[in-house]
Amino acid sequence: MKVEISRRRFLQGSVAMSIAGGVGLSSSSMMASVAAPAKGKLSNEDKKVATLCEMCVNKCAAIAHVRNGVVQKLDPNPLFPKSRNMLCARGNSGIRALYDPDRLKYPLIRDGEKGSGKFKRVSWDEAYAYINEKLTKILDEEKDNRSTVAFCAGEGMAEHTFKNFFTMFGSSHFLNHASLCLATTVSGYSLTIGGYGQSDLDNAKYVIMAGANRAEAIVTPDTMDFFKRTNGRGAKLITVDPRFTNTAAKSDKWLAINVGTDLAFVLALTYVAIKEERYNKAFVENYFNGFEAYKEHILSSGYTPEWAEKLTGIHAADIYEVARDFMAHAPQAIYYQGRRTTWSKNDFQLRRAQAIFSAMGGGVDVKGGICFGRGLPLIDHDVAAPIYANAKSRIEKDEAAVVGGSGSWVAFRNMVLENRSPYPIRALFNYKHNPMQNMPNSAKTEAFLKKLDLVVTIDTMPSDTVMLSDVILPECTYLERTDPVVSYGGIEPSIAQRNKAIDPMFETKNTMDIMLGLSQKVSKSLFEISKKHDEDVQMAIEEDGEEAVYKDFDLTKPFLHSQEELNAHAVEKYEGAAQMLKDKGVFYPNMNEYFKKVGVNDYEYYPENKRAYSVLNNKFKTPSGKIECAIPSLAKRGIDAMPMWKKEYEMEIPAGKFRFITGRHAQFTQSGTNNNKLLLNLVPQNYAWINARVAKKLGIKFGDKLEVSSKAGKTTIKAYPTEKIGPDTLFFVHGFGSYSKALSLAYNNGGNDAAILEDGIEPMHGSTCLHDTIVEIRKV
Amino acid sequence: MNTFSLKKLFFFEKTPLNLLMAVLTVGLLAAFFAGVANYILHGHHAYNVTRQHPWGLLISMYVFFVVSSTGLCIISSIGHVFGIKEFQQIGKRAIAGAIITISSGFAVIAFEIGHPVTMMIYNVLTPGLTSAIWWMGTLYGLYLTFICLEFFFLAVKEHHTLSKIFGICGLLVGLAAHSNLGAVFGFLVSRPSANGVFYPVYFILSAMITGCYLIFLMYGFRYKMNFPDKVQVMLVKLSKILGMLLAVLIFFEIWKILTALYGDMPERAATILHAVQHPNFWLGELTLGMLIPFTVILLSNAQAIKATVYASILGMVGIFFMRYGLVHDTLLYPMTTLKRAEYELAPTFVEYFPSITEFAIGLGGIGLSLFLYYIADKVFNLDETEGAHH
Amino acid sequence: MARYGMALNYKSCINCRACESACKEENGVLLLKDHYRIWVGVKEAEGEFPNISIASQTYHPSQCQHCSNAPCQMVCPTNATYYGTDGMVMVDPVKCILCTYCINACPYDARYVDQRTMTVDKCTFCSDTRLAAGETTTACQATCPTKVRVFGDLDDPKSEISQLLANKEYRQVKEHLGTKPKLFYIV
Ligand SMILES: Nc1nc2c(c(=O)[nH]1)N[C@H]1C(S)=C(S)[C@@H](COP(=O)(O)OP(=O)(O)OC[C@H]3O[C@@H](n4cnc5c(=O)[nH]c(N)nc54)[C@H](O)[C@@H]3O)O[C@H]1N2
Ligand SMILES: Nc1nc2c(c(=O)[nH]1)N[C@H]1C(S)=C(S)[C@@H](COP(=O)(O)OP(=O)(O)OC[C@H]3O[C@@H](n4cnc5c(=O)[nH]c(N)nc54)[C@H](O)[C@@H]3O)O[C@H]1N2
Ligand code: SF4
Ligand code: SF4
Ligand code: SF4
Ligand code: SF4
Ligand code: SF4
Ligand SMILES: [Mo]
Repeated sequence: MKVEISRRRFLQGSVAMSIAGGVGLSSSSMMASVAAPAKGKLSNEDKKVATLCEMCVNKCAAIAHVRNGVVQKLDPNPLFPKSRNMLCARGNSGIRALYDPDRLKYPLIRDGEKGSGKFKRVSWDEAYAYINEKLTKILDEEKDNRSTVAFCAGEGMAEHTFKNFFTMFGSSHFLNHASLCLATTVSGYSLTIGGYGQSDLDNAKYVIMAGANRAEAIVTPDTMDFFKRTNGRGAKLITVDPRFTNTAAKSDKWLAINVGTDLAFVLALTYVAIKEERYNKAFVENYFNGFEAYKEHILSSGYTPEWAEKLTGIHAADIYEVARDFMAHAPQAIYYQGRRTTWSKNDFQLRRAQAIFSAMGGGVDVKGGICFGRGLPLIDHDVAAPIYANAKSRIEKDEAAVVGGSGSWVAFRNMVLENRSPYPIRALFNYKHNPMQNMPNSAKTEAFLKKLDLVVTIDTMPSDTVMLSDVILPECTYLERTDPVVSYGGIEPSIAQRNKAIDPMFETKNTMDIMLGLSQKVSKSLFEISKKHDEDVQMAIEEDGEEAVYKDFDLTKPFLHSQEELNAHAVEKYEGAAQMLKDKGVFYPNMNEYFKKVGVNDYEYYPENKRAYSVLNNKFKTPSGKIECAIPSLAKRGIDAMPMWKKEYEMEIPAGKFRFITGRHAQFTQSGTNNNKLLLNLVPQNYAWINARVAKKLGIKFGDKLEVSSKAGKTTIKAYPTEKIGPDTLFFVHGFGSYSKALSLAYNNGGNDAAILEDGIEPMHGSTCLHDTIVEIRKV
Repeated sequence: MNTFSLKKLFFFEKTPLNLLMAVLTVGLLAAFFAGVANYILHGHHAYNVTRQHPWGLLISMYVFFVVSSTGLCIISSIGHVFGIKEFQQIGKRAIAGAIITISSGFAVIAFEIGHPVTMMIYNVLTPGLTSAIWWMGTLYGLYLTFICLEFFFLAVKEHHTLSKIFGICGLLVGLAAHSNLGAVFGFLVSRPSANGVFYPVYFILSAMITGCYLIFLMYGFRYKMNFPDKVQVMLVKLSKILGMLLAVLIFFEIWKILTALYGDMPERAATILHAVQHPNFWLGELTLGMLIPFTVILLSNAQAIKATVYASILGMVGIFFMRYGLVHDTLLYPMTTLKRAEYELAPTFVEYFPSITEFAIGLGGIGLSLFLYYIADKVFNLDETEGAHH
Repeated sequence: MARYGMALNYKSCINCRACESACKEENGVLLLKDHYRIWVGVKEAEGEFPNISIASQTYHPSQCQHCSNAPCQMVCPTNATYYGTDGMVMVDPVKCILCTYCINACPYDARYVDQRTMTVDKCTFCSDTRLAAGETTTACQATCPTKVRVFGDLDDPKSEISQLLANKEYRQVKEHLGTKPKLFYIV
């Protein structure tokens, strides 16, 4: 076929320009680039690098086309079973993150009041030296209590590298997104059925998705597997959501639920299944622990659909129907676990109730149910961490029943801010995380960050949190780095690796190099502090000599090898894996034999009989080896042993006000993509969903500016009147309305939900309650 | 041809009306060049046309000018080609007007078409023979050549036979070109409100009306409302023709609207209903463009020439709205009624309002016409040369 | 010679707009207003909360239909719009005079003015960027999470698209205009 005149050549030039100039795609450079010579056919000349997308948590496999050192295009890499040969809108826009003119380019040190936005450019060494000076001073003053320095991280492939530094450093405070995201559902399902598992949406016949918006909040492979099947091709979907989402649009039934009342809904489903004896009796009898008591509790508490109707707003008839249909389709029936489950105070109990109800159908560890799958273990690169005698335990450990290794972010912040901390918290290291936008009540987060003596942030963009930091360490974007190889267990397990497409631009570095440089700088001087304050260290030195003891305390140890070396080592036991991962980005045993193209769009990764649908042999990974209906040990910590409804879960919405909910959008990732030019071209900003009839009464039309306010603060946003939301609920997409002026497109663009969210926490893990805020609106 | 010098060229009697016309001409001309300058600086960004409404005021003005030209050509041919005696005096003035208006039209469209030079090349190298625009453009090019020759043999080198031959050619090619312009709209299968036979025919009809209006304006100005008998007689006859043409046009429009609304055919009915409710239509096109002139002619039994001259001013304003409506109404209905993103309202009737630059170039084109007419009037004797034709 | 068309399992479309962004990156479409070769039409849900008609909210992916009887081609004065290899309707930017007649003539709103070349642009079925380089899919098809799109040769009875069209009901948009579009919406 003849090569048609390609418009693409214009693009090639323009991206190249943007690198040469170090600035973005201005229209003048676009015009100039028209003269750039065409390079002929695309695919044959390009270097193709197998990488993994990092625009969100899913890490879809991608092929980066590189020419003359410029990433031209990202295509899906079909080899990865988890991402099923797709890239979403955000994945396609990754190049815009790489070439974003606003991205962080050089290390910076604050050069003015905190929050003034003034920074000065420094060398890496100067940045490290500054951190070193501050850290030694703090730790000296705090007598080597390493826990006075906290570490927080968002999800990311190099999160572990950063965590290695934290571990070596010896603080007790690691805080990550879990308490803002999925802590309650992961633990709710784990403590009940022995794991969070993977919903087998490729084979399930009946799925209840409550507060999980898979059509917009993309999770792989769930999104792809399921929506191929929902409309007319074999899977029934019941969507339970206060909003009519894109997921609702794909479902067989949409149940508009009152915010925060899901627990009542699940209890009523359970009631119907028990009362009408529709559950999988054999399964329950054999594999449930404490079912009789649960049954008794449900029946005697009167959790009837009629009772639930009053709370949830869902008709009793619908509840009967869903419970019956669910059990009729079981065990190929799933009450979907959900992902961002930090909603309200009853969240943990809700997830437990879901897990029990789901398991009552028998759909656990079976095809079409919740599966646990198989893993492909990697060889760990272990480094022994030193022990610091003076490091104290977590300050927020008693703020909730179980505060795990990822902490309770909100409780931690509030204790520091309100001077409730038993000892001072003075510094924060932050990796790939934006608490200013992702933790409720941004006014408090701002005050918290200002209160600290040292905030070091590793980021790619000048986020709101970056602007409140003292030292900014610019990481290169994912297309400029090789990251730790990762193994993805599941029904079709595989190992995947991100390979660097181009060299880091400007003076950016990957996390491994940043941590190496930092640890080289601080290791010795921090050891001096321990020597001074830590009696154990002093004794050890007396016994073994300083050199030998320092070896244990040498912070550089985890960072001495290149990522490539470490990755090769990690997959050593799989023959040919290291090379395969470099070339193709994906590996699993027998891949060459199993992987097949079966249609223009479809690939087979494992033959049916090799997929890990059932792996447990009915021995669940719970204390009793069975599905746990009750967890008495929790009762001691004030957590109900069995899910139950409580009066305190009922929340009044005063007339004229709204309960505010937040959530995802298919074209954006939390706060991380709000400056992405391509995505903003698709959707310029977020809008507040308000019921159309209510809006009409208030004289609010589409596009009118609203001020939304709560006890926590206020924000302004344009109105989107729609019947897709109820009269007493207000919603807008999370992640917009940045305060950072350095984000030229995101600054003040749309509404900022972190500004108005109140910061309550739930009692189990101290997870944040993102849907417990009452707001008012005013047309401005 | 008159003998002339630059000094003579720019000398005119300083009557209030002449001064007003001078200011108007210079102002519009300046607007035209300012608009062109802005277009050269900013390209199509200077226009308010969009993906959903790709044609705007400039196309309307182009149509306005070429319709005027065809109209003048047709009216002039009544005397000049068909030999009706009273109308022979119109000849030169009308042909000059036809040349001037079509030139202004070409000037305006040159700044609407993105690549006029490319057009000249590929119109010839790879002609799109199924394209109404190709035929329209090519025929208009030919038409301009013919009427220039016609004028040459009429006003410069007086040669009655040749001028008549070229006149006939010009008329025929002009009619063909002009109905093709109608077909540019009539061929649009995507636009049910425009699609069909209506526009090609209607274009000829409305051209003749435009020609009449312009003749009234030119003569009104030429004789400062003091018409010699011969002119008076001609204008009364013209007025009768105009009255009849207007009656037919009104009749035509009514049936167009009725057939469009009848049966509520999707897209078409809604489009026409929306269009006729707009003041552009009922006030501009209908009242100014047709009803007032028609009423004046009807009530005075075609005798009130002065009033008809004034009515012709309104008539031309109406014709402007007619041309604007032609383009805008054709593009009114969105080609897809679905939203393209969640946070927007569903597309309804496509909106468009010309930008300053479009106004400057489009209306500035009138300045171009006035200026050229002034020059032509100075350089040539546009009145009938006594005894030349008998 | 093939005759390429695209079948769309549009009921699987979740309106994620991956196709739109992939097309922009693949084809260097400028990030400006009105610049898009592909889009997803959204029909807003009908009904009053909480009784929304689920069936009423549909997502309708669309792009140039590569009409076999293309009005845009018919009206082009310079043949800048032409039938390219494999039946694709293409625009030659060298010949395009930007009269925008074709934009008016296209019943699908598939065309727009590219502000960089100042010529008309639209979907090419990726023939210049992908098919010419030996690939068999379009960028929008490859990237789609729910695999809405099936691109292929309508003249090859064995192709997946031919099979689909033979075995499933489908409908087309504005067929009555006689454009013979090559997008097929599987119902
Ligand atoms: N109001 C509200 N709050 C929420 C949520 C909500 O829906 N509403 N959702 C919650 C949930 S579920 C989650 S998971 C959290 C997420 O909260 P975060 O973990 O903060 O995630 P992001 O908003 O994506 O911000 C990630 C930061 O990492 C930066 N970044 C991106 N790529 C890289 C990289 O390669 N390297 C480095 N070093 N930095 C990078 C981005 O610039 C951005 O500043 O938010 C929670 N908070
Ligand atoms: N495109 C895109 N995909 C993503 C992300 C992204 O940022 N963008 N982020 C990823 C991450 S980190 C996460 S955690 C997941 C989040 O994935 P999800 O948890 O599925 O998504 P959310 O939109 O945060 O919240 C889900 C829904 O809960 C509804 N909801 C609110 N209150 C209630 C209630 O009381 N009851 C019920 N039943 N529903 C309620 C909201 O209306 C919303 O539609 O998505 C992941 N995938
Ligand atoms: S879901 Fe989208 S953003 Fe997330 S990893 Fe995959 S392609 Fe990237
Ligand atoms: S859809 Fe429009 S642009 Fe595409 S071939 Fe048909 S008429 Fe032409
Ligand atoms: S704008 Fe270009 S492609 Fe379209 S009709 Fe005119 S010349 Fe042809
Ligand atoms: S086929 Fe190619 S050019 Fe056409 S819409 Fe899809 S990606 Fe864009
Ligand atoms: S990529 Fe697929 S699912 Fe997403 S909007 Fe396009 S057609 Fe629909
Ligand atoms: Mo999350």
